[in-house]
Amino acid sequence: MKKFLSILLALNFIFVLCACGDNQDGKNGGNEKPEDIHSATREIFAMDTYMTVTAYGENADKAVNEAEKEIHRLDNLLSVGNTDSEVYKINSTGEGSLSEDTKKLMEKSEWIYENTDGAYDITVYPLMKLWGFTGDKQTVPDGEDIKKVISDSGFDKLTYDNSTVRLGENMGIDFGGIAKGYTSDKIMDIFEEYKIKSGIVSLGGNVQCLGNKTDGSMWKCGITDPDNPEDTGSLIGVISVRDKAVITSGGYERFFTDAKSGKTYHHIMNPKTGYPAESGLKSVTIVSSDGALADGLSTACFVMGKEKALNFWKKNSDKFDMIIIDDDRKITVTEGIANNFISDYDFDIEKKQYSIPTDT
Amino acid sequence: MKKERIAFSKFKYDILLLGVLLAAGTFIFLFALFNGQGGTYVRVKVDGKITAEYSLKENRTVTLNGKNGINVLVIENGEAYISEADCPDKLCVRQGKINMNGQSVICLPHKTVIEITGEKQSDKSDIDIIVN
Repeated sequence: MKKFLSILLALNFIFVLCACGDNQDGKNGGNEKPEDIHSATREIFAMDTYMTVTAYGENADKAVNEAEKEIHRLDNLLSVGNTDSEVYKINSTGEGSLSEDTKKLMEKSEWIYENTDGAYDITVYPLMKLWGFTGDKQTVPDGEDIKKVISDSGFDKLTYDNSTVRLGENMGIDFGGIAKGYTSDKIMDIFEEYKIKSGIVSLGGNVQCLGNKTDGSMWKCGITDPDNPEDTGSLIGVISVRDKAVITSGGYERFFTDAKSGKTYHHIMNPKTGYPAESGLKSVTIVSSDGALADGLSTACFVMGKEKALNFWKKNSDKFDMIIIDDDRKITVTEGIANNFISDYDFDIEKKQYSIPTDT
Repeated sequence: MKKERIAFSKFKYDILLLGVLLAAGTFIFLFALFNGQGGTYVRVKVDGKITAEYSLKENRTVTLNGKNGINVLVIENGEAYISEADCPDKLCVRQGKINMNGQSVICLPHKTVIEITGEKQSDKSDIDIIVN
C-alpha cells in the first residue's frame, strides 16, 4: 500500500513537471531564440532624439561602444546648434571646409535635390529657423519674410568641391533630414567590421537593421499610424525586412497650432512655397538598403505627393520601396515590398509599368 | 502489540500526508494547466499606456521614465523586478520579483506598472521595432 502510494505520488509529480515543460515548449513554438548568442543594447540621447542600438554576436559590446562613439562624433560634426560643428562654421561664415562625412552628405543631398525636383533641400535651414522649428517656439511668419527667405535659398545657389563649400547670401544648410539615416548607415558599417551578423538600430524612430534576426527570420517593423502616433498598439501595418533602413516622415511628428487661426502647421517644409507641404499625404515610409537615401527621400516624397512620388519610384525602384498613407488613410505599397507588408487595412500595390509607348 | 500500534499510526499519518501531497500535486497541476503559466513578456505601462514590452527570457536592465521619476527594471533569469527607484516610498522595490502571468509591480508615484504577460499587446505579429 505504502509503495503504491509512493509510486502514485511520484507519478503525480512527474506529471506536473512534464505539464510545465510542455507549456514552455508550446509557448516558444519551436521558434526560440538561441540564448547563447551574446547581445548588447545601448540607449543613447543624441541628435535631439532617443536612440537604441542593438547588436548580436561575440563582439556585440565592442560594436555597440563604437556605434555610440560614432553617433556622438557625427552629432558634433553636423549639429546646427553646436558652435564647434562643421555645419555651424559653414552657416556662420558662409563658407568652410568639408570633411569626408560632410562631403558625402553634400553629394547625397545633391542627388536627391536634383532627382526630386528640389523637394528635398538642405538649404531650407533659414526657413525652418523663420518658422521656429529649429527651437521651441513656432510661429507663422510674415508672408513677405517667407518670400525673401526662399528667394535666397536653394541647393543650386551653393557651390562645393572636394574639400570646401561656399554658400550664397543669407543662406544656411542643415543635414537634419538625412543625418540620422547617414548615421545608421555608418553603424551598419561598424557592425560589419565587428563581424556582427544581426543588429538593429532606431535613431528616434528611424530604423535600420543588419541581416536577419538571430532566429533567421526577418525583422518586423511596425509602421506608426499617422492618426494615432502615440499608440503603439495601433499600427498601420508591419513590414518585414533584412539589411534595410525603414524611415518614415509624417506631418504628425512635429507640428504646432496657430493660436490666432487655429490652423495646424507641421514641420515638413515645401522648399518652393516656404510653407508646410500640403501634398495630400499623412506619411511616407521609405525602405532602402541606403539609410541616408531613405531618410532624405522620406521627406522628398512627402513633399512631392503621391503621384509624383510614385513616378519617381518607378524610375528608381532598384534603389528603394515605399509605403504611402494619404489624407483619406488610403495605403499604397510599392511592388518590391508588397509581399512583406501586412496590414489590418486594405492597401493598393503600385507596380512598375514597363514602358507602354505613348504618342508625344 | 504496542509496537504494532505505533507502526499503524505512523502508517495512518503517512497516508494522510500522502493524501495531502497528492491533492496538492493535483491542484498544482490543474493550476498550471489552466491558469498560472509562466509569462513570456514584461510589459511596462506608464499612466495606463504601454511604453515597452520585453522578453522575460532575455536578461536586461532598463531605466523606465515614469511620470515624476525613474524606476530601474531588471529582467534576470526569467524574473523581473525593480532594483532602484527615486520615488519616496520605494514600495516598487520592496514588491520583489515576479515571473508568473498576471503578476505585477506597481509604482504609484510614477504611475508605472510592470506586469507579466503571455503575449505582446502592442502587436499580433511580434513586432521588433516601431518606425515613426
